[in-house]
Order: sequence, then structure tokens, then C-alpha cells
Amino acid sequence: MRDLLSSFYSPDHSPSTALPLPNTSRFATLDTINTTSFDADQYMNLLVQKSNLEGLLQKHVEMAAEIKNLDTDLQMLVYENYNKFISATDTIKRMKNNIVGMETNMEQLLEKITSVQSRSDGVNTSLFERREHIEKLHRTRDLLRKVQFIYDLPTRLEKCTKSKAYAEAVKLYTGATPIFKAYGDSSFQDCKRASEEAVTMIIKKLQGKVFSDSESIQSRAEAVMLLKQLEFPVENLKVKLFEKLEQFLVDLNLESKELTRASSNQESVPHSASAIAHEASIREFAKAVRAYKIIFLDSEPQLSKLAQDLVKKDFEATHLQIMKQVHSGDLLAMLRLIWTDVLLMDEVLPEASLPDCALQCAHVAVRDYISSAFGRLLKYISDSLMNAQFTSKDGIEEEYPLQTALDAGKKAVTQGSVDALLDFRQLLDQETELLFRLRDLTIDWLEEGFRDFFRKLDGYFLLLCGKGNTTSEDELASFSSGGGVRDYGHGPVFVPAEICRIFRSSGETFLHLYIKMRTQKISVLLKKRFTAPNWVKHKEPREVHMFVDMLLQEFKEIGSEVKQTLPQSLHHKHRRTNSNGSTASSRSSPLRDDRLSRSNIQKARSQLLESHLAKLFKQKMEIFTKLEHTQESVITTIVKLSLKSLHELVRLQTFNRSGFQQIQLDIHFLKATIKDIAEDEAAVDFLLDEVIVSTAERCLDPIPLEPPVLDRLVQAKLPKTSEQSPAS
Amino acid sequence: MQGGSTGIGYGLKYQARCISDVKADTDHTSFLTGTLSLKEENEVHLLRLSSGGTELICEGLFSHPNEIWDLASCPFDQRIFSTVFSSGETYGAAVWQIPELYGQLSSPQLESVASLDGHTCKIRCVLWWPTGRHDKLVSVDEQNLFLWSLDTSKKTAQVQAQESAGMLHYLTGGAWDPHDSNSISLTCDSSVQLWDLRTMKKINSIEHAHVRNVDYDMKKRYTLVTAEDESGIHIWDLRNLKFPVADLPGHPHWTWTVKCNPVYEGLILSAGTDSAVNLWLASSLGRNDSASDSLAAPPTRRIEPLLNSYNDYEDSVYGLAWSSREPWVFASLSYDGRVVVESIKPHLPRK
Repeated sequence: MRDLLSSFYSPDHSPSTALPLPNTSRFATLDTINTTSFDADQYMNLLVQKSNLEGLLQKHVEMAAEIKNLDTDLQMLVYENYNKFISATDTIKRMKNNIVGMETNMEQLLEKITSVQSRSDGVNTSLFERREHIEKLHRTRDLLRKVQFIYDLPTRLEKCTKSKAYAEAVKLYTGATPIFKAYGDSSFQDCKRASEEAVTMIIKKLQGKVFSDSESIQSRAEAVMLLKQLEFPVENLKVKLFEKLEQFLVDLNLESKELTRASSNQESVPHSASAIAHEASIREFAKAVRAYKIIFLDSEPQLSKLAQDLVKKDFEATHLQIMKQVHSGDLLAMLRLIWTDVLLMDEVLPEASLPDCALQCAHVAVRDYISSAFGRLLKYISDSLMNAQFTSKDGIEEEYPLQTALDAGKKAVTQGSVDALLDFRQLLDQETELLFRLRDLTIDWLEEGFRDFFRKLDGYFLLLCGKGNTTSEDELASFSSGGGVRDYGHGPVFVPAEICRIFRSSGETFLHLYIKMRTQKISVLLKKRFTAPNWVKHKEPREVHMFVDMLLQEFKEIGSEVKQTLPQSLHHKHRRTNSNGSTASSRSSPLRDDRLSRSNIQKARSQLLESHLAKLFKQKMEIFTKLEHTQESVITTIVKLSLKSLHELVRLQTFNRSGFQQIQLDIHFLKATIKDIAEDEAAVDFLLDEVIVSTAERCLDPIPLEPPVLDRLVQAKLPKTSEQSPAS
Repeated sequence: MQGGSTGIGYGLKYQARCISDVKADTDHTSFLTGTLSLKEENEVHLLRLSSGGTELICEGLFSHPNEIWDLASCPFDQRIFSTVFSSGETYGAAVWQIPELYGQLSSPQLESVASLDGHTCKIRCVLWWPTGRHDKLVSVDEQNLFLWSLDTSKKTAQVQAQESAGMLHYLTGGAWDPHDSNSISLTCDSSVQLWDLRTMKKINSIEHAHVRNVDYDMKKRYTLVTAEDESGIHIWDLRNLKFPVADLPGHPHWTWTVKCNPVYEGLILSAGTDSAVNLWLASSLGRNDSASDSLAAPPTRRIEPLLNSYNDYEDSVYGLAWSSREPWVFASLSYDGRVVVESIKPHLPRK
């Protein structure tokens, strides 16, 4: 209630009204008594509901006391307001009394002001004439002084020239020119002529000053300013000076060209001397440019162009150098030279943004350099490879023609890339700001270059392979070594994953190509063997057939090639025992032998059934396993493919008993010898067995040779081959 | 067959090499296959895919006098087919007619329509013009090419022309251009020869060694697909024989045979001695005009051409045939006498 009262007198009572409304409706509490939306009945009900009799009584007493208090408060408020009202009425009454005498005072003031005005008018008219006279006199005096000045002008000018106060002279002359223009033809003819003569003198002197290098730049600039004021055609001067600068630049270029030539041809002594000379001349040029800039204030664009030209020419020279073979050190020296020049120039000419320009040019130069370096590297490698091939083809009977070709190729690739890398390293390690800024870009280019390079190499090698040369392997090896080099060379800055991938895939392609070529050759060999004779009329076998020798010879050749190029597999030994196929073979081989011996007597039909059965019990032999980059893997793959071809060819023929026995003998011999060559014994055995089984199937009368006969024939053959092998 | 096989299998009694689609049978998807047994009595099986496509039913079993090296069904009469056979030193080729079946399934004798005698060396294959009725037949032996005129109603076959391919060229097989009944391609040791049957002259050749099998694209004229021993599959444009239009990796060992799908362009099936059948999609075939582009393009940009590899075979796969009635079905035959019919529907390119 007290809040309510006070709120009547306070300007804002929003907080008291805003809050209670939602409260009362939702939560009926006893606190609502102090709000505007107080509902007496509700309150009463609530009170009766909530409290007991004692509480009610107490509440009653409390409320009665509160009501009494509020009553007295109300009374106090009314009294206070009444007092204020009375004092206000008093104040208004006093104001009314004070206003009465004001009007008469104002009228007196007006009268006095009018009398002052009339008097001042009288004084003004009485003094007017005299003032007019004084003004006329003054004007005459001014005119006289001017005439005096003009008559004195020539002598003054002369005096100024003598004392070299050209600025003063020019100021005087320019002051007098309007008069000369107006009256020069009539009254002051002599004066005009004399002063013009003096001024031409001055102009000449000023020109001399502008052109003389010995004068201070400040004074030259002033001279030009004065000349401009004298309406002398300054543009001519500017052009002349600019030409001078250009001439200077041409000289400088010649010099720098000589310098670069010197630096590429000769050693350090003349180099440094000419460098110093070069730097001096650059400094001079910079100075001249600065002077020019100060002298002719708005000449920046021209100068910028000039400076940029200089830089461009410098880089052109560099480019020429790059076209010829140039070492990265020289390139660096050149770049550094150019950069110092640029820095010098930049001090003078910040507007030309020379560093940017130089940076751009350097971009081009470095990129050129990189591409040319890679091009050279590629050429170098291809040359060396070609050479190696030719020498090996012309062939004095070298033992390892492949080896030499390979070595040459490898060396070429390795050496070439190492050289290139060292060069690039040097380039990258430079602390020069120019190169430093370019660093990231350079690295990018290098990467790109390397990628291109390897891609090109790849293509080139593919071409080689396409020519049917059996040297595809050495490329492979050189490739991997090249890869190693690359890794070593670039370490942190180079992300080789991509290239490695390209690399590996092309390596794989080569390997596959190699295998394909080899197996094709063997296939042809085998095909001839099987299509040529009439197997149905084959004679009894006397010895192991020649083709086995040829086959083994072929394998040996491949072995030696592979040995030269590919690494040995590391887990050589335990793969043999570990392999999945080998367990299968240990299971299947005895079974097969068994079956074979029995099949002498049995019919072919049950044999087929049995072979099906055997297959059921045996795991499917994985003949075409994944190729690895090892000697063993490659040889084994080739052997397996060849045996598979043999197998397929056998199936296309029909044999008589002797034919069958011949094959049996051949295979038996192969079995004994091929073990040393190939790795995956299980698969090889399986394939050999398959050949015999297939031959038996394709035979009209499959009666195998007796094992002792077989052994005897094989034994007869063995020493022969062992004789041959050291001889060959 | 064990292990995730989707195909429908059928076992022949003996080893076998050849299977052929019975093109003239428009009511059923059927295949003809013949066995290759040196010592036993050989059989010709007429297989039919059940209407639900879940089973292979043997519709007829006929005994054949010799081991069958090649078998081709007549494209216009479902009861006629040709075989190439040999036994030991003897060889021959003949056109047969399947006898009317009156319910019995016991190996009835085949009726011989004509015997293609006159060959002097081992016969390789007999070719029918694949597109429709044609009264000519071509048979190829190691050195010669014979053109026969066949009258099935009179049961006669007469040599119309004969030409030697030369002593040095061992012919191995061939294919008849479905778009041009006068041109035929023959494979030999060192090349693929293109012959004109009107003049019986070799008109051109692809000098490419070790070609084992050749097939024309039914949909796209001038497109020839070859399979090589070691170097996979090549696709040629007959108007430009210098370089193949595209090549596919083929199989790890020999790629024995290739067959182009009769309906879906660019779908190629190959079978190899690695006991697998591969389904390829030669994308560059689709846009032949940009063939040179696709050659120049880096190989990484091309999509993987191999759609699927079926390798649930126990032995080398020599026989392969698309069904012309249901072009998403093919039959394959491995050497152990197992016919497997597969559907390529899940691998069909979305059109």
C-alpha cells in the first residue's frame, strides 16, 4: 500500500503494474495484497482457508496496525502538498508587481540612440573631401614606384645574375611581365629589351646548371622550377635528359652482358672486378635516376618503364645463358647480381615495383632453368642408354651385355639425377630474398619437373621395350635406384608418394612386359616342338628331346638377366616351407604318382574320374600368383607360365605310346632340373604332373616307360647338360 | 559347384572344348556342346535353359563318332549343326541334323546332312554366316579355305571354291563378318587375314602375332576383336589396321577365346587357360569416332574395363557362347566337361 501511494507521485509506476497480473491468476497467494489487482474476496477466502483461528486473529491485529499506519502516512502527504501550493501562489503575486515600471525606461533609451546617429553623420560629411584627396595622392605614388621598378629592372636583373640569385631574378621578371605585355611596345621599349636580354642570360645559365651533374640535385631541381616559371619549354629538357639515361642504360646492358659472359667463361678474379665495376655503374645509374625523378616530378611512369626494361634485359641475358648449359651456381650469381641491382633501384624508384617485376622475371628464369635442366638430364640418360645398347649390340662377346647396358643406364639416371638435385638444392638453399620468395614456387616446379621427367623417362623406356629389346629390366632397376636418389635428395620438401606410385606401376608394367616377351618366345619354341612332328607316328624315345635343352637354356638366360637387375627375395628360404601350395603338393604328389602307376593298367575313363576325384581333394592350385620384384618371383612366374603353355599344347595333340613316353621322359628330366631354377616347387610339380596326365589322356595307348629306363635315360642326359653349362 | 557360384552347372561325361548357341531356336535358350574323348564314345548334348532360368535340361543326347574339336550351330535351322572331328590321324568335318525326337532320350544317331570331305590337313573350324539364311559354308583347315554351297533339303554340300593360304601360314581359325557375307577373317601364326569370298583372295591382314581367336562385333560394323596368347585382347577397326583401337589385359596365361555380345555394344567375354571367364566393357567401342582420342588419352583416365571375372572353374575354359535369345546369358565350357550358364544382368551397364 505504501508503494502504491508513492507510485502516485512518481512518474513511472510500470514495474508495480506489470508484475502482478499473471501472478494473481495463477498462484493465489497472500502476497497479492500489495498489487493493483488485489481482489479482496479472493484474498479473504485464501486467508480463511490457509490459516487457523489464531493465525487469523494475529493477522487481524497486524492488518489493523498496518491500516492505521497507512492512514497517518496519507495525512502527512496531503499536508506536505498543501504547503507547496501556498508558496507557489506567493511567488506569482511578486512577479506581477515587478513588471510595472519597465515601459517608460525603454522609451528614454530610444531617444538617446537617435541623437547619437545624427551626430555621427555630420562628422562623416565634413571629413569626406580630404579623404578623397589623400587617396588620389597615394595612388599616384604607387604608379610612380612601379615605373621606377621597371626602369630599374634590367640593372637589378644583372645584379642578381652576378650574385647568382636566379630565383630573385626570376621573381622580379615574372612580376614585371604583365606590364611589359601591356605597355612593352610603347613606353618601356628599352627597358623591356634590356630585361629580356638579362633573362635569356639567366635561362642559359639555368640550363647549364640543369645539365651539369656536378651541381647538387636540389639546385638543379630549383633551376628546372625557375625555367618552368620563365615559360621555357621544359619538356625538351626532360626528353634530352631521359635520352641520356637511356644511353646510360644501354651502356650498362652491354657491360652486364660482358659481365655474365665473363662469369660463365672465366674464373673468379676478373669476375669480381667486373662485378664491382658493374655495381658502381648501377649505383651511378640509380643516382641519375633519383636526380631525374626529383627534377621532373611527374616522371615516374617513364622511369619505371625504363627500370623494368633494365631488369627484363638482364633476365634476357640470363635466359640466353640458361639456354646454353649453365650451372646453378652461375645462375645464382646472375640472379644475385640482378637482385642487388633491383634493390638499389628500388630504393630510388619504389613506384616501379621493381621487385615484383624482377620476381616475375625470376619465375620465368627459374622455370626455364628447371625445364632445361630436366631436358638435358633426359637427353643425357637416353644418350647413355642408347650408347650402352649399341656397344652391347655391336658386341664383342661380352659376358654380360645386359649388365653393361644396365650399369650405364643406372649410372646415367643416378648420376644425372644426383647432379640435378645438387643443383636444385643449391638453388633452394640460397638465402637471397628473391629466391627465398620464389622458394615455394620453385619447389612446386621442381616437383612438377620431376614428375614430368619421370613420366617422360617412363614413356621413353616403354618405347625401348616396344622395340622388342630384352633390356626392359635394366630400366626397372635404374628406375628404382632413381627413386632412391630422389627420396634422398628431397627429403622433407618433396612429397614423393605420387611419383613413387607412378614409378611402381611402370615398374610393374615393365616386369609384365618382360615376362610377356619371354613367355611369348618360349611359347613359340614349344609350339614349334608340338606342331612339327606327327605325334601319332612318333618313334620310341631314345633320349631327352632337344627342346628341353632349349627351354632350360632360355630359363638360364632369363635367370642371368634377372639376376643382374632384380634383388633377391629376402625371405627366400622360409617361403618354400610356408607356402600354401606346397602343403597341397605334399598331399597331392604321392597320390598322383600312385595314380599314374596304376593308370598303366586301368582304363582311361576311370582315370578321368580319378583325376576329378583328386581335384576334389586337392585345393585349387594357384598358378598365377602375384608377381613380386624379386629374381625368384620373376623366374618362377615365367617357368610356371611356360609349363602351363606346355600343358595346353599337349592337350591339342594326339599321341601314340612312344609320343607319350617321349613326353614322359622330357618331363621327368625337366622335373629334376627345373627345381633348381624355379621357386614354387609345389606349383611347378603340379604343372609337370598335369602335363603327363594330359598327355596320358591324349594318348591312344598310354603305357609309361618303366622307371629304371626313365632314370637311365635321364642319367645319360644329365652329364651332358652339366658339361654344356660350364662351356656356355 | 562349391563357393559362391551364381551359374547353373551341367556336367558332361567327358572332356570338352566347344559349345555353341542354338541361334535358330527362338523359343528356348539352348546350347549345343560336344565332347572330346579320345577313347570313349563321344556325345553331342543339346541343353536347354529352363523357362525359369534356374536349370539346364538335357534335351537330347546323341552319339558322335569321333572326338569333337569344333561345333557350330546353324543360324537358321535349329536342328542342323556342324562339327569338326578327328580321331588319331583321321579328321573330318560334317553337317548333321538332329533327328526328330519322339520322346526317347536314348542316344539316337545323328542324321548326316553332308560330309565336308576334301580337306588334306587338319581341319580347324566350320563357319556359318552368323546373321541369317545363307547357302554357303566355310571350312578352314591348316592351310586352306573352302567355300561350300550347302543345300540342306537335298543334303548335299559341294565345294564352290578353294584357296590355299600359303604353306607358311598355319591357319588356326576364323570368323565370318556378320555385316558382310563376303568377308571373313582367318587367324594364322603371324597375322589375322581378311579374305573376300567372292574373289577368294586375301585383301588385307593385321600383322599381329599369336592371335588365337577372333570375333566380329555384331552391333558395330568394322570392329574386330582378337584374343592373343600372351598379350590379351585387342580391338581393331577394320578401316585402320595399323594400330588397335583399344586393348584389354586379357588373361594371365593364354586368352583362348573372345565373344562379343550380340546385343550390348562393347560387352566382350573372354575365356582363358587360367580357368576364368572375364567380362569386359570396352568403353572406347561406344564412341568410335573419338577412337584416336581414347588412344592418346592417358590410361588412368579410362574406366576399369573389367566388369567381372568368373573364376569358379576347375580347368581351362575353351568354350564360350552368348545366347542370342537372351543376350545377358552366356554359357561357358571348361575342359573338364562342365557347362556353366551365367547371367550378366548384375553387371550390365546402366543405360
